[in-house]
Parts: sequence; C-alpha cells; structure tokens
Amino acid sequence: MPETDLIEIRVHGRGGQGGVTAAKILAAIHAHLGRSVQAFGDYGGERSGAPIRAYLRASRAPITSRNKVYAPDHLIVLDPSLLDAGTLSGLKGGGTLLLNTSEPIDAFNGRFDAFRLAVIDATAIARARGIGSRAVVIVNTTIAGAFARIFDLPFAALEHAYQHLGLARDLPAAREAFERVQVRETAEAMAPGARLGLPPLPDVMPLVEHTESPAVTLKTGSWRTQTPRYADGLAPCSASCPAGNDVVGFVQALDKHGVEAAAEILAKTTPLPSVCGRVCPAPCMDGCNRRELDGAVDIRALERWIGDHTEPARPSTALGMSEQGTNAVSPEPARPSTALGMSEQGTKAISPDDAHAEAAHAEAAHPERSRGTSGPGASKSFAIVGGGPAGLSAAHALATLGHRATILEADRELGGVLRSGIPVYRLAREALDRDIGRLLARGVEARLGERISRERVADLARDFDGVILATGLERQRGLDVPGAKLSGITQGLTFLRQLAMGEKIALDGDVVVLGGGNTAIDCARSALRAGAARVTIAYRRGRDEMPAIKEEITEADNEGVELALLRAPVGFSGNGRVRAVRLAEVELGEPDQSGRRSPKVTERVDELACDVVLLALGQSADLSVLPERWTLRDGRCFDGEHATRVFAAGDVSTGEGTVTHAIGDGRRAAFRAMAACGLEVEIPPRLDVANAVPASAVRFGHYPGSSPAAHEHRVPSSLAGDFAEVDGGLASPAEASRCFSCGTCTECDTCLVYCPEGIIDRRPGGYDIDLEQCKGCGICVAECPRKAMEMVMT
Amino acid sequence: MKTLQTFEPEPALGGLAHTPADRPEPILRAGNTNCGGCGMSIGWQLLSRAVADRPVQLVIPASCSIVTAGTYPFSAYGAPIVASTFASAAAVASGLAHAARLNGEKTRVLCWAGDGGTYDIGFATISAAAERNEDILFICYDNEIYGNTGGQRSSATPQNAWTTTTPGGKDVPKKDLLGIMAAHRIPYTASVSMAHLDDAHRKLEHALATPGFRFLHLLAPCPTGWKSEPAESVSLVRMAVDSGLYAVYEVFDGNRVRINIDPTMSDSALERYIASQGRFRKGHADLKALRGEIDASWRELRARAGWASEEATR
Amino acid sequence: MSAELISANHAAALATILAARANRTARGFGSGVYPITPQTESIERICEETFEKGHVVRVESEHSAMAVCMGFSLGGLRAFTASSSNGLAYMAENVFAAAFYRLPIVMMAVNRTLGPPWNIWVDHGDTLALRDAGWIQLYCEDNQEVADSVLAAFRIAEDRRVLLPAMVCQDAFILSHTMMMTDLPPQAEVDAFLPPLDLPHRVTARPLVVGGLDPPRETEVHRRQHQEAMNAVFEVHEEVRGEFKRVFGRELPPAIVPYRLDDAETIFVSMGTTAATVRQVVDAARARGEKVGSLRIRMFRPFPEALLRAAFAGRKRIAVLDRDLSPGLGGIVFSEVRGLADPGALVQNYMIGLGGGDVRAEHIERILADVRARERAGAPEFVEVGG
Repeated sequence: MPETDLIEIRVHGRGGQGGVTAAKILAAIHAHLGRSVQAFGDYGGERSGAPIRAYLRASRAPITSRNKVYAPDHLIVLDPSLLDAGTLSGLKGGGTLLLNTSEPIDAFNGRFDAFRLAVIDATAIARARGIGSRAVVIVNTTIAGAFARIFDLPFAALEHAYQHLGLARDLPAAREAFERVQVRETAEAMAPGARLGLPPLPDVMPLVEHTESPAVTLKTGSWRTQTPRYADGLAPCSASCPAGNDVVGFVQALDKHGVEAAAEILAKTTPLPSVCGRVCPAPCMDGCNRRELDGAVDIRALERWIGDHTEPARPSTALGMSEQGTNAVSPEPARPSTALGMSEQGTKAISPDDAHAEAAHAEAAHPERSRGTSGPGASKSFAIVGGGPAGLSAAHALATLGHRATILEADRELGGVLRSGIPVYRLAREALDRDIGRLLARGVEARLGERISRERVADLARDFDGVILATGLERQRGLDVPGAKLSGITQGLTFLRQLAMGEKIALDGDVVVLGGGNTAIDCARSALRAGAARVTIAYRRGRDEMPAIKEEITEADNEGVELALLRAPVGFSGNGRVRAVRLAEVELGEPDQSGRRSPKVTERVDELACDVVLLALGQSADLSVLPERWTLRDGRCFDGEHATRVFAAGDVSTGEGTVTHAIGDGRRAAFRAMAACGLEVEIPPRLDVANAVPASAVRFGHYPGSSPAAHEHRVPSSLAGDFAEVDGGLASPAEASRCFSCGTCTECDTCLVYCPEGIIDRRPGGYDIDLEQCKGCGICVAECPRKAMEMVMT
Repeated sequence: MKTLQTFEPEPALGGLAHTPADRPEPILRAGNTNCGGCGMSIGWQLLSRAVADRPVQLVIPASCSIVTAGTYPFSAYGAPIVASTFASAAAVASGLAHAARLNGEKTRVLCWAGDGGTYDIGFATISAAAERNEDILFICYDNEIYGNTGGQRSSATPQNAWTTTTPGGKDVPKKDLLGIMAAHRIPYTASVSMAHLDDAHRKLEHALATPGFRFLHLLAPCPTGWKSEPAESVSLVRMAVDSGLYAVYEVFDGNRVRINIDPTMSDSALERYIASQGRFRKGHADLKALRGEIDASWRELRARAGWASEEATR
Repeated sequence: MSAELISANHAAALATILAARANRTARGFGSGVYPITPQTESIERICEETFEKGHVVRVESEHSAMAVCMGFSLGGLRAFTASSSNGLAYMAENVFAAAFYRLPIVMMAVNRTLGPPWNIWVDHGDTLALRDAGWIQLYCEDNQEVADSVLAAFRIAEDRRVLLPAMVCQDAFILSHTMMMTDLPPQAEVDAFLPPLDLPHRVTARPLVVGGLDPPRETEVHRRQHQEAMNAVFEVHEEVRGEFKRVFGRELPPAIVPYRLDDAETIFVSMGTTAATVRQVVDAARARGEKVGSLRIRMFRPFPEALLRAAFAGRKRIAVLDRDLSPGLGGIVFSEVRGLADPGALVQNYMIGLGGGDVRAEHIERILADVRARERAGAPEFVEVGG
C-alpha cells in the first residue's frame, strides 16, 4: 500500500459554537476536492457552551477507521479558553494548531513552538456579522476560511461547499478570515513519536454500593463568552442636575437610611437644599425615568424635605453680619458663632489683612477642614464677589475642602436674587435663612454691604489666593418699542425687589406682565398679592414653550392669572402713563437651534388695556466690574493674555439663569480656582445625560404603580396681601420610595434569585458571582430592574 | 379575589435568599450541564427555595433535566433523584410516596418532567396517579419541545413553532394540559410564571404542603430550542404573561378557579414574544388570529373564575 | 402444613402475601397491579388482602405496574407484581429498568401467547422475549412449585450477592387456572426463611442519582457486575434450596430437573408443564427398554450452562421441545442449548404446543420416533397438536 495521505484533524469547540459543523464544513471542502472524507462529533450530555470535540479525516484512499482521532495531524481550537483541557493531547509535532483568539500571534511567542501556529479572531468576525446569538457566537463558518488559507485549499472549493451546505450567507466572514489569518511556522521539532499514553481506566463503583452521589466537578465558567458584573450606571436625574447633585444617591439615602444620611450626600454638592427644594426647575425630574411610567419622582420636594428637616450643626443667624451689624428678617437673634464671619463681638468684619490670623483661628476651630489638603499652603483663602447662589455654592465648595471663603456682598444680606427676586410666598425667608445659616456654620465669612468696584477686583486678585466673581445678572432687558418710556412700565425684578425689601406696594388696576419665565410668573402672582384687579401674562410663544416651571404656571392659572399666548408687545399707548399694551399675534415657525419654534410677529395687533406693565424679558450680565484690559473667557478672567486667578461663576458667566445652574457653576469655579492655585483637586465633570440609564433599560413591571405624592397646599381665601408660602411641601418623605434607583444597586436580590446556576451570593454591600461556574447567560443583567449590572466580553 | 400583585417588592422573595431558611444545599448544583439561560434551571432555583429544609425525593423521567444530573457516580442535584423511564415518573413516584408514608417519613415526593414526559408519553401515567390522588407534586417544566433529543414537536409545542419535526411550523395548537389536570379534580393545579417570583414561590410552597396529587405547570424557555437569547428567558415568560398567552391561575379541587395575574393583554408583548424567538420565524405566526385565540381562552377562563364577562373584552 | 386446593394463580398470590408479611418489621411491602388474562386472579387475591405494612396500587397499565414496583423497591420495600403476554410486552421497558436499577422485585408471569391475533393460552414466547432483560427466570411445572418458587425468588433476589429481580413463570391455564392441592407454609416459617429486606442502595434523603447517565466505561463495568450477580445466583440458589428444605421440610427443585437420565442415550429437553407429559413418554419408552430420559430446565436465567453441559455429556440424541418460536431462528431454548451437546450428538428442535395446544403423550411419542430415526439434525420441526 502506498504511503497514506490521510490527514486527521480534531476540532475543540463548545456546544452551540458549531464544532461538529466545522468538521463537516471542512470535510465538504475536501470532498469537493475529490477526497474521501469523514466528519463526526462526540455526543454526550453536555449542552450549549460545554466543551465538545469533533473529528475530521480526509484522504485520497477510502477511509476505514471508525475511531476517534487520538493523534491528530492538526488541531482546530474554536475557543482559546479550551486550550487548558488537555487539548493538545496527541497532536503530532509540526502539526498545525489553528486557534481562534483575539490575541495577535506575537502573544504566543514561546508557546506551542513544536507546532505550526495559526491565529484568527473568528469570534470578532462572526460577531460583527451577526452569526449566532449575542451569548453564543457561531464561529465555524468563519474559521473554515482561515483553515482553507493555511492548508492552501482553493477558496473556490470553500465557496462550493458553502453553497452546497446552504451557508452562502457566511461566505464574507470566511473570506475575511481567509485574508486575515496569521501563521507562524514550527520553531522546534518535537521528539518523533511522542504521544500521550492512554490513561488507565478508572474503577467503577457497583450500583448497589452507590448510596450517595458526590457533587459534579464541572467548572462551567469556562463556557462563558460574556461576563456579568455589577457596575453602577449613571442615573438620569443625577446626570441632569446642573448643580451636580448625586440625586439618586440622596433620594435612595432618604428612602433607606433617613434624612441625615440624605442631607450628608446633598451637602457634598449644594449648600441650598431648602432653596432648590422650592424653586429649582428640577431638570432631574424631567430626566426621571419614572416619568415614563406614572410620573417623575418629586425630587424637588424631597430635597426640600431634607433641607427643611435637617438642622445645622450649630445654630447661627441666617444672615451674615455687616459692618453695621444690621440684620434683617432673621427668625433668631444673632448669637456668637464660630463662623468666620462672626467675631466675638458679632459685629466685626474681617479685612483681607486679617486673613492669615483668621485662618489660624479657623484651623483651630475646625481642624477637620484642613484634612485632606496637606502640604505647604494647603489652606488657601478665596474671595467671592456676590452672595447669590453661585457665590454661596463656591463658598460652600471651598469651605467644605477646608479653605477660607470670604463672600463680599453689596447688599445687606446674603442670598442675592434668591432674596430679592423670588417672592416669599414661593421661597419662604426661613428656608433661605436656614440654608445660609448652615453654610455660615461651616465657617464661611461674609462681608455685607461691600460693593466691589473694578479697581477692587484687581486688589482682591492680589490679596487672595483666588477670586470668584458671582455677581449674577444685573442688567435687565428693556423693550425698545413705541411708548416704552411711559410711566407705569417697570422692570419686574425691580418690582419684586421692592416687595422683598418690605416696601408697601399697592396695585389696583390691571397689570400686564411681559415674558414667560419664572420672573414673569413671580411678577404676575406677586401683582395679585399686591392688590392688582386683573393680571395678564403676555408671551410670544405657546404655553408649552414657556421657560417657567410648569407647576408655577399652573399655580398662576389657579390664582386667576390670565395668559395671552403667542402675543408679542409692539408698543404701548397712553398719555404719560401707560393705558394699554399693543400686542401683535405671533405665528410659530420652524424650530430654531434650541428646538423651540421661532416666533414670527404678524401684522394683527390688538390692544390690551392696563395700568401697570411689568417687564420680565430676561437679564444680562454686567461685566463692567472687570478691570480694564480684562476679558472673560470660558469662565476665567484674563489680563491681556495672562490667565488670572479670577473666575466667574453663575449667571455672570453662563447666563443660564437658574439657581441650580448657578450652584453647579459656582462649585465648578471654586474647584477651578483651587486648581489654579496649585491644589490637587478634581474639577467636577459635567455629566452627559446621553450616558444615563435610559427608561428602556428600567424594568417598569418590577415596580408597584404609584402616583407622585400630593403636596400640602395652602389655598388663600384672598390673595391680596397674602405673601405666606403657598406650597407646604410633602407630608412625609415616602415619595422617595418611588425612586427606581436607576443604575444604582439596591441589593434587591433579583439577580441572585434569577441566576439559573444559583451562584450569586450576598456579601455586605453587594453580591459575589462565582465566575468559576458562571455560564454568562446574562439573565442577572437582563433582569436587574434598574441596570446596575452589565455584561462585558470575556 | 381580584387583588393581583404583579410587581416585585424588594428584596426579592422578602429576602428569603439570604436567610437561614434558604436551602443550604441547592437542589440544582452549580457545575451542571444545562445551557446558559435555561428556564428549567431557573425553575429548580425557585423550587429549591420553596422546598427549604423539607426532605424530598424527586423522580425525573427522560428529559434534559436528567441529563443535567451528570454522569455516574456524580450528581448535579443536591437531593435524591430517581431517573425513571420516560413514561413512568408518576408511577415510580407513587411507589416512593407510599414507601415514605408506610414508614412514617415526612419525605415529599416530587416529579419533575418536561412537556414530553408530561403531555405526551407520560400522560396516561400522570392521569392515573392523579385519579388515584397519589401524594405527589408533579411539576411539568414546559419548554414546548423535545429539547433533550434536539428539538422535536410535542403536544405542548405551540402552533406555528418550528421544530425539527415540524419544519414548516406546527399546524395545531398546544394541548390545554392545565385544564385537563384540573378536570381530574385533584387538590391543586396551577400555572407558574417564573417572571412573578412571589406568586411562583407561594404556589410552590402551597403545592409542597398540600396532600394529594398536585400539578404545577412552569413555562420554561429553552434558548437553544426557541432560538432566543439566553438572557431573555425570564423576560420571555413575562411577555407571555403580559400578552395573555400564558394564563397564570390556580385551581383548587378542580372547581375553584383563581386567576392570579390579570394580564394587560399587551399586543406589543405578544409581538415581542413571537419576534424574539427564532422558532417562530419560519412559521407563519398570525398575530391577529393568535390574539383571537388568546382572548377566547381568557373569556373561558374568566367565566370559570367567576369574573364578570365584560372584563373579557378590553 | 396446610394443603389447600387452589389454582397456581392463587398459589403465587398466597406465597406473595406471606412474603409481604414477612417484611412487616422492615420497610413493608408494595405492589402495583394490573389485570391481564390469565394472571388476573393472582392480583385479585392480593387486592383482597389487608397488609399491616403494605400497599397495593391499582395502576393503569403493566408499564406502570412495574414502575410502581420500582418506586416501592427504591424506597426499600419488598415489591411484587404479576403479568402475562402482551402485558409483559407493554411492561418490557420497565422490566429492563428494574434489573438495571438492581432492584429485587419478584414478578409472577403466566406464560401466554403474544398477540394479535389474540390467544390467551400458554406459550413461553412472552417471558423468553425478556430473557435478556437481566432478570432471574424460573419456569414451574406445578402449583406447589409456583408457590415455593415465589418464596425462593424473594430470597434469591434480595441476597446481597444478587440484588436482581426474579420472574416466576407458569403455564397459562394448565397451571394458572388448575386447582391442585398446594401446601403453603405458616407465616412464622416464612418469617424464618425470608429475612427483612435492607436494600443497600435504596433512596433516602441523601443526594443520590439512581439510574442517571452511565458513560461507556461505567456501563461496561456495570454490565459486567450484572453478569457477576447473575453468576452468583447458582450458588445462592443451592443455598436457598438447602435453607428451604431446612425451614419448610420440602425440596425446592434444582436449576435443571433430570428424570431417568442415568444411562439415557436419547433425552428430551423441555420447560414448564410439557416436562410432565414427557415423563409419561420416558416411562413408556423405558418400559419398552429404550434408553430415554428427560431434562427440564427450571432456571433459564441465569442460564445453567455448566449443569446442562454435564447433563448432556454422553447423550447421542437430544430432542429440544420449545413452546415458543423465534421466527427465522426456531426455538429459543434450542438455540441456547444446542451447543452444549457432545460433538457428533444429534440435537433436533421441535416446536410443540404453540398457542396453547394441548401437548399429549402421543405427540411426544412421535417426536421420540422422529429423533431416534434421524441420521442427522434438520430444520426445526413444527409438531402440530391442535386444541
């Protein structure tokens, strides 16, 4: 008999990967080349994912063997994790080892030198072409391409075989593998005839002596192609919060651990929970995935609950002390405090010159504040110009990290627009004072009644380690139309400020408010309280486009404010005093860049009679405070081309116009200022809501349906003169239990209970997955009701 | 009773999984050979939690779940298992149950069989054991296919499903086994949704505690046979329930019918259920006709449960 | 001793009831029963009995009858059932299973023709079709032997060296429905003869898979062990015969039962009641001075090869009478014994009494004449006897 050209190949794969079919495909190729072939697999009890072997023989002579292949000429390994299990057993020296792996061929330097090595990432190719399922990628049709290449088989033979087997769809994958397979020739010869001997046959216990079955020893973790892991996802509420609050964190903490724990989380990012809990437009609630089910979690009200139900560690007056020692609507008398703003006399303000002495005092009083900022000059001092929300937030961030923060406020009280621009029926002064009191208790110093001129800014920059300008929007937008100078036309913010300062303003006719933002609503509702007979808001877009908080618009509705929508003011009429506003009808055109449809003013004009007009058309920053030659670029002041340590924060910088934006920006400016003076701090990133857990990833069915909790709501019998707070907030923090906790594990055990293998165990603070056994089915991840897990490629 | 709770309070199963009541030795051990995402495996985990520390003996006829056990002398089961011949589970269990009773043992004897061993070859045996009201809990994990032999049709295979023996899709609907078993007037018959943990656990516990013949039906997705993603096994059951395709109810003594989950009859769930499974791709699933059949079966079920008929048309 | 006039069906039932009671101090007795002519009377009699510790499940099929017995046996109980013909065929899967589980279940089988066409009369083809099922098979010749064999079968089957199921076979109607005086021992003697069953591999609360997957290696060893257990039966059977005689004072027939074999040159080989008719012809032939003898095979499994080879030594002509047919082969008994004769001996197969034909002496005489006249063996001969 002539020397045989028989080749014997063994395929190592996993159930479901198509190992047996791989042998069949290769056999079909050889058959097409006129050879006698044989292809078969091992059949046993194991299932999808389990290691299996398949065999192939090809020869020009008829094949007579009916045995498995124990000494293969070549080996095909469909899964690199199978390389451990005696896979190479019997492979002839110089034989080819074709390996499906994502590693490059260089990764195998020094290994398998006795063989010809070929590698191809068939899994990646097959996965990219969608062959098989996500969990079990079928690689046989791909790797056959590599096989054809390394054995110099014509691709046409492969094509023919694929057509014949109905696999033509996978030809591009085979072609890719054909082209991309890498080969390394045999490096060293193996001793001829080297073979692994047959293992001795094991003893078998008689059935009648078998009284207890030991546990199986199979490590099914090796079947896995994907691995589950616990990974907190970004909650859309947190991602949406301009202030940077860990929203899901504080809501969950409130639900699970109580108000103190929640307050602790909030205090990391905001000094103003009581304020934001009332007046924040709450983008978090717009982002809340629960909106898609039965209404967003009332996060704003929960923040208010936390702010209102946590007392500051040390009571303090809510107001900073001015040099004059003046204070205003404080609920409590001023008491000595360790707050930096208070000297022992409670009246003395501190000049920059005293700063170092005071710093020592501060460290003595609050040694914990310097913690974590070790190193020379660890505790720095910063001046903050403006005591509005951005300034307060910057001071909070600085003080929290143990630095000295000095707020310079032109007014006699801290709060800025919170105090002067938001009516008290909406933001009770007690709430504002409570937040400010807590901030001062952290050691923030406030100098009141200090208006900073442009000359002083440069001084501050020299005297302090850093300066933050948080002067807000001081310029109010007017209206350049005929009759705009008539008396009775006032800036809404001026009106609000007068009210806030306790001026008695009595309105008695018809009032028209121009604008659609919160200021407009505030003006309208305040006007009613000031005695106006009839209040109309005229706005150039529709109700849905009004930037005001939706609930506020509803409140205004309820209180009788009328809305004249799609109306733009084109003039005023009156003789000395305004008698009517001329409103043109507006049509909405194409959406602009902001997504809002741009208004087109028409020729159709009506007059609306009125006695008072309040302008609420927006504000802009007053940058005249900057010294000459200084410019503001991306929130930082430059003296010519020289970057100063002066940063702008809040509306003056961004003009975003909400408390929450101001808080976030103030905090970010504080971090930038700290970084600018050499402190190692991580500037809080801006989170992208696009990366947040989408509603589609939340398993709604997991959660009991429940509507948002009602607020305690005061309905005044008569609005005139009644400036008491309308919204009483929540009656309990139970609303927090509606939170899905998107992206954050609540240890609900769903993963554990659904694991088909029973290999997820509880440990303190989470779970352990036994990866030795995990088959990577992904049910734990799919069933996680809140996407606090993910699958990663193994 | 119409208060139907379909959401899942946290922690799951009231935290049972990490209390001492959880069975220390699971009935299905890790290292078994089941495919990833096997619905039957999930069923075992549920059963294991419900069995807790009760002594049990299980009879498993030919099926994937006996291959699961592994090879001699090892076992992937942490409980005694008799691997019976295909048709004989309920009969072997009858003997074991009497053996336990005659010897004053509290052992609960269970049968765990696939749809082939229940709907088809085992049916006469099960019917007879039910008629004798043997003290057996018979659980059918129904993957609607002869999975162990590679995916042939059974009388539990739904209409239009592709199997290796119905290459054009099955031409007749599946048999209403739950109705048939209830007609034996056995103490307890129930369908179990693994997507509704509390209901499933309660039923398993009730079935374990009740004397006489009890029958539980568990819809058990088979990613390999259904050509579905392993990760979706539980969600497929959820879709089957939400769409009304899988009615979750229980029958006491064959006459008191209690619907446990009032489904939303979601068309989108039905659509997704069909679309997520490769086995329906080759057939010609007519969703409208299927919806009609589902609605008709619900009218009948609601009538049996004593629910007002107008609820049947939503 | 109290002899009663009873059928062999009742003889088997009463012996079973005694054996059942004998296990009352252990885990008790269980049975799954299903009627089939001509076995039905035996299970009816068992159903009349009230057991202190036992239960009879009235199942829906023979398949389940054996399955229930397997359940009882796996639970450590003494288990019994009875069947016949197509019932055995329907049961077959579980007949094999009981043996492969190594469960010492005893079954009384009434040999009846397999149909269709339907025939309720005797034929050994039903149990011989199960000769490879791994069971001990004992074929009886009279009612007393049926009763005694049932008692002995429990003892042999439950012996630790054996742990295999045992089938006690008897001829339809000729024994099953024929009244004979049958001696049934008192309970105390049966208690002394049959120790309580303590099945080593019974199912408890421990994790254990009974009857799971056996790969090739495990199976080859388990099959070999099955064979070894079968081989142990010869020794155990002899011990049990001795014990039987000691306790009951009566002989239990040996594995093969010789009759006037001493110098016989021509012998008949048969099973069951045919042997009784053969004996008449042997006596007649002897009276004529012919050297004729008979050999009845009582134990067909394990196959008593050595005993048969010894018994065949020196015989010139052997007529093997089969009350069965393996179509395309001939007699099953013939096919198993033919190779055990001396070289040059003439071994001729006769199919006789198929379908319950009444085998009479004249038929056996014809066979004797045929076998003596032959120069060499030929194809199996069908001896047609009619009703």
